[in-house]
Amino acid sequence: MPPRPRPVDPPTEVIPRVEDDYDDDYYDDDDYYDEEEAKPTPPPDSTARKVVRGVGEALITMGLVVLLFVVYEVYVTDLLSAEKQQEATAALDSEWSSNVVTPPPSDPNRQAKTTLIEGKAFAKMYIPVFGNDWKFSVVEGTTDKHLEIGPGHYKDTAQPGESGNFAIAGHRVGKGAPFNDLDLLQSCNAIVVQTQTQWFVYRVLPMSNEVAGWAANARSKEAACTGVAPLSTTLGDAYAKTVGQEIVVPTQGEVIAPIPHQVNTAVPADKQARLLTLTTCHPRFSDRQRLIVHAIETKSYPVADGFVPPEMTEG
Amino acid sequence: MYGWIWRHLPGPLYLRIVEAVVLTVGIIALLMFVVFPWAEPKLPFNHVTTQ
Repeated sequence: MPPRPRPVDPPTEVIPRVEDDYDDDYYDDDDYYDEEEAKPTPPPDSTARKVVRGVGEALITMGLVVLLFVVYEVYVTDLLSAEKQQEATAALDSEWSSNVVTPPPSDPNRQAKTTLIEGKAFAKMYIPVFGNDWKFSVVEGTTDKHLEIGPGHYKDTAQPGESGNFAIAGHRVGKGAPFNDLDLLQSCNAIVVQTQTQWFVYRVLPMSNEVAGWAANARSKEAACTGVAPLSTTLGDAYAKTVGQEIVVPTQGEVIAPIPHQVNTAVPADKQARLLTLTTCHPRFSDRQRLIVHAIETKSYPVADGFVPPEMTEG
Repeated sequence: MYGWIWRHLPGPLYLRIVEAVVLTVGIIALLMFVVFPWAEPKLPFNHVTTQ
């Protein structure tokens, strides 16, 4: 059998190799971007170009400075103040431990007035509901320098335990922010002040919306509220405006008067309540207004070794 | 501005990076410890006392 003729293979057509634009090495090449960017010669810097870039960079820089200021205000001042507060507390502790403590007189509230030195701590302050790590040494004076150290006592206002108004200012943002959460204080919350010889327990007065129905309010029956009642019912109309919390404008200095809001009425000291007033800025991050908290002294104890007032564990 | 500063830093690259870091830290320190403490009481943020 003759072999069958094989179909003739068409001649292989050789296609020219396509130039591969995208070989794998292409992107791994480190020099690629550099070369590409270097290739087009940058246009010469015109004045307009320079000005626009300069303005842009200046704006970015200013933005960074403002951000940095926020960091300073909220965090860095805390660190600087913490150190000052620690020094003040250490000085106070050494003073208290070195002095011979005279035993408290028979009436604990009739202590001799101590001379307070500006910028020096003279008392310690605790707010148990803020946690047992909330403690600050209170210094005399309310200038910026004093308030960097800690809460500051308004000069010429009453001292702890005295009749009248023991008034303290403190920062709400930065500088240790002692009064950051002052708006969270509720009626009857304890604010404890310790001096070298005595503990004083102050309690926040009923809020303005609690004054009317205080007797019927379940809260007024709580143990913490013993001795706390709207002052208008216990001490008369002069105290009608003295409530637990108020927000005032910065010029209303009358909130730290011996009888708050009563600057001109002369009331003998023995008829005045023993108040504590805290002031700070409001709203937070602004100084448009002031947040004011009023509290009344309900108890006092002599300082004794190892004794801690039971109110300290509230919260 | 930043480009101009970078071009005017002397030395090789690694030295320039060190210089840039030192410059940045220096400016931040100047702001934190001199400028901000001076400016802060003049700004309406943190006055807590009544008058």
